[in-house]
Amino acid sequence: MSLSLQNSFLHELASDTRHFLRRPGLAALTSVAVILILLFIVFPVGSVLLKSFTVTYPTVTVRCQSKVSNRADFKELVTGPILGAIRSIEGVEETRELTDEESSVVVVRFRRDWDDLRGLNDIKRAVQKLQGTFALSVENIKYELGQETIKSLATYGRFFSKSYYYRALKNSIVLAIVTTTIVVFVAFCFAYLGLHGPGFIKAPLRVLGLLPLIAPPFIFALSLILIGGRMGILTRLLHLPFNLYGWPGVITAQMITFLPLGYLLIENVLRSIGSHLDEAASDMGASGVDILFKVTIPLSAPGILKAALLVFIMSIADFGNPMLIGGGVSFLATDAYFLWISENNLEMAAVFCVFLVLPSLIMFVIHQYILKGREYTTIGGKPQQVEERRISPKIFYPMMAVAIPVALMIITCFGMILIGAFTKILMIDNSFTLEHFQSTNGLRSLLTSLKFAFGAALIAPIFGVTLSYILVRKRIPLKRVVEFMALLGFAVPGTVMGIGYILFFNSPPLKLTGTFIILIINEAARNLSVSLEAGVAKLHQIDIAIEEAAIDMGASSFRTFTRVVLPLISSALAAGFVYTFMVGMIAVSAVIFLITPGNNLASLYILAVAEEGFLGMACAISVMLIAVVMICLGGLKLLAHYTKTTIF
Amino acid sequence: MANGNDSPVLELRNVTKRFGNLVAVNNISFSLERGKLVTFVGPSGCGKTTLLRTVSGFAELDEGQIILDGEDITNMPPNGRDTAMVFQAYALFPHMTVAHNIGFGLRVRKKSKPEIDAEVERLLALVQMDGLGDRKPHELSGGQQQRVALARALSLHPKILLLDEPLSNLDANLRVSMREEVRKLQRRLGLSVIFVTHDQEEAMSISDLLVVMDHGVVKQIGSPTEIYEHPIDEFVANFIGHINFFPGEVIDLSGDEMTFKISQTNLKVEVPPFPVSVGDRLKAVVRPESIDIVSAEKELSDRENVLEGRVEFGMYIGSIMRLTIAVGDQTVYVDEADPQHKGIFEDGQKVKLVLKKRIHMLRETSD
Repeated sequence: MSLSLQNSFLHELASDTRHFLRRPGLAALTSVAVILILLFIVFPVGSVLLKSFTVTYPTVTVRCQSKVSNRADFKELVTGPILGAIRSIEGVEETRELTDEESSVVVVRFRRDWDDLRGLNDIKRAVQKLQGTFALSVENIKYELGQETIKSLATYGRFFSKSYYYRALKNSIVLAIVTTTIVVFVAFCFAYLGLHGPGFIKAPLRVLGLLPLIAPPFIFALSLILIGGRMGILTRLLHLPFNLYGWPGVITAQMITFLPLGYLLIENVLRSIGSHLDEAASDMGASGVDILFKVTIPLSAPGILKAALLVFIMSIADFGNPMLIGGGVSFLATDAYFLWISENNLEMAAVFCVFLVLPSLIMFVIHQYILKGREYTTIGGKPQQVEERRISPKIFYPMMAVAIPVALMIITCFGMILIGAFTKILMIDNSFTLEHFQSTNGLRSLLTSLKFAFGAALIAPIFGVTLSYILVRKRIPLKRVVEFMALLGFAVPGTVMGIGYILFFNSPPLKLTGTFIILIINEAARNLSVSLEAGVAKLHQIDIAIEEAAIDMGASSFRTFTRVVLPLISSALAAGFVYTFMVGMIAVSAVIFLITPGNNLASLYILAVAEEGFLGMACAISVMLIAVVMICLGGLKLLAHYTKTTIF
Repeated sequence: MANGNDSPVLELRNVTKRFGNLVAVNNISFSLERGKLVTFVGPSGCGKTTLLRTVSGFAELDEGQIILDGEDITNMPPNGRDTAMVFQAYALFPHMTVAHNIGFGLRVRKKSKPEIDAEVERLLALVQMDGLGDRKPHELSGGQQQRVALARALSLHPKILLLDEPLSNLDANLRVSMREEVRKLQRRLGLSVIFVTHDQEEAMSISDLLVVMDHGVVKQIGSPTEIYEHPIDEFVANFIGHINFFPGEVIDLSGDEMTFKISQTNLKVEVPPFPVSVGDRLKAVVRPESIDIVSAEKELSDRENVLEGRVEFGMYIGSIMRLTIAVGDQTVYVDEADPQHKGIFEDGQKVKLVLKKRIHMLRETSD
């Protein structure tokens, strides 16, 4: 059976390939796309994976040039004593001799982490002691410092043997589970009330459910610090014996940060459940609570699960919130950064990355391939003028009890940022000031952010939507593989993509680290999937007969694409642009590895000043950042209005 | 189900429903006898579905009262009403099996499992879906989904069954056989049913009583025969079946007969069942199938009520030939039954049309 399956797969592959090769234009375009995907998504991620399976040791090579011609003598007189002397040196793990006719070469491998300069000095001292004995046979002695990289699972071993390493994995997973549960629960209440609640509550909940979208992802951590940090308003006023740093802070901040994602997805699912099903249940005598638990929730379960998986991925990958309000609790994304920055421990950082990628990748695969098509598409009748069913009090009050405190929290958080921005030092000197806004570095970083976000927002949609066209409409071999590779950029946490870029683009011929363009490419690659999915969704809506009509009229493939398809999918391009731009303005996790002093981005600058305790300035730049994003979006909306196109 | 008394099972009293400024249902009163099937029929947007939804409780009334089996249910929520609805798109719960769909109402009412199982089996058999209880709705054909929706609605022994365009998503042949089945089932079980459709043929064929609606008001209530043969106005006449109107004037009255002048021809027809006098302007309403057609050369023994015309266009449908005839400057539609045996008329051919003596008359309205 498996043989015939394999055969049919190979057969299909062969026929796809033949079809593909007969179309040079398509083949060329697809090849370019695949090469770009490999270069900027797959290989960097692969480098991280490879790195995690290696261990690098410091080495010292001792090279003694020979005066004698007899090799055996030389070995006995020089190499032997050297080896003997070195073996007893502290930190030496392995010695090797590579002696040849002219010289005695001894490679000394020290323990991982061993200070190589100390090792070198120890060796020099030991060899000098021997000098008297082989002065006649040795011409000169050279010492070389080096590194040796060995394939090994040792780093994984150390990861699991040291609690301060594997604790980060455990913490990240616990955090993701807790955050996801809370977000799904709260988002469901928001979405349900926003759709079925009484009129006065709908609009405010919809706005508040989406509002956190426009904020940099760690802004809530920032305002939570202002409220409940060590010097926070509440901590000070109420003389609280505890503060929000650590678990409570990270969970709360993540809940608010990821609420819009959960809200958008769950609202969409709830909306897609036709009201006729509610009515049918009601007609059968089901009460509001019955309908919620027997119809609404089971029907939206696949969609809710999808939302949960995405929130889970985002929570694990989150960098800014744990960084700011983590209070020393270790999480994978932030610890990987510290391992990299402060300890220069590449291998362990890579292992952390692998554990960052794994849960996300598993969730992503479940989301993309197992749950796909699992939603219940409910066929609706003709749109009816449907009267809102009155929400049952048994549902309304409990949901309000969840939604209202969260809504107030969101408002408070935004309010705190504003207050913080205009106050000298909150709780110490509460006088009004504008000085936080007068930060040259801050303004410069805003400008850099704009260039960066704009650049990424140009690349991602064009590439993503073109790719979506190839994937949806054309016959190419290994389509699913190409699609998976393209979506990988989204599934892989930013920290991993950041480290991957450093590893992969650190050496010629692709030495791109330190340039501005690598920042933009990185951001575009990470957000490619959104444009890709937007394109795919749009293309599925467009009847293929429209394109066939164009070809029937004698248009070429290229012309059909530019004249017929492109105008029709322009809304996907626009959506991709807006999304990539917004996300780019608040990007943190991958770019933090790639910025150079001249190229600091606003979001990272906020993070940096906040970490140093300049909360006022952090608030002020956040306010400016939000303002810039809103102005840009407003401008786009105006542009769309005047050109009569739909952007969002 | 019927508890034996003669009081109507359902009574609508001055029911009015508005959507903003739009009056969807305007002051409708109507009652339904037990065990009868009534059809709300009318063009889309006429308010028929809204009227149905006021009965099920999904549309709240702005004015009026709804009495179900003697009980005022005007302010009762849908889940408290003893009504059951079959939705246009069936509204089967996609996450439940057929059996679970059918048993949903019984589970909500916390019936015991054996009781529910037995009832579900019975209902599956009733709608000829035995053995398909484990399927999911998406594994069923449209007709099967329809049956499941019907069984689900019947599971609670509703006092009244509401069908909202239940056949509109089925293809033509299935629609015809399903409507027969629904009608048989309704008769066998003595169900009181409201059926909503925009398809006049469906309405005619299935109903005990028709309620013809337009713009939120009832135009005419009557049996299919009454509605077809004696439409109360042009709208009803036009909506149900094809129709010819001959406007004219009463020029002579003698006993049961009168002379009715249409364009250049005088017709001798029976006096309508309402008072007329010489000089009245009326409209003769003639169905295409009640006009006889012969070729112009043929001599007729009776020369009365004959119109001369020319075939403009003939459409062969098989069971009938539908002819468009020019009579003077008027266009007349004629259906000739059994064209196979009576011969086919060519376009352009001269013909004679013979009208009957008994013709339904409408008073000419001044609109």
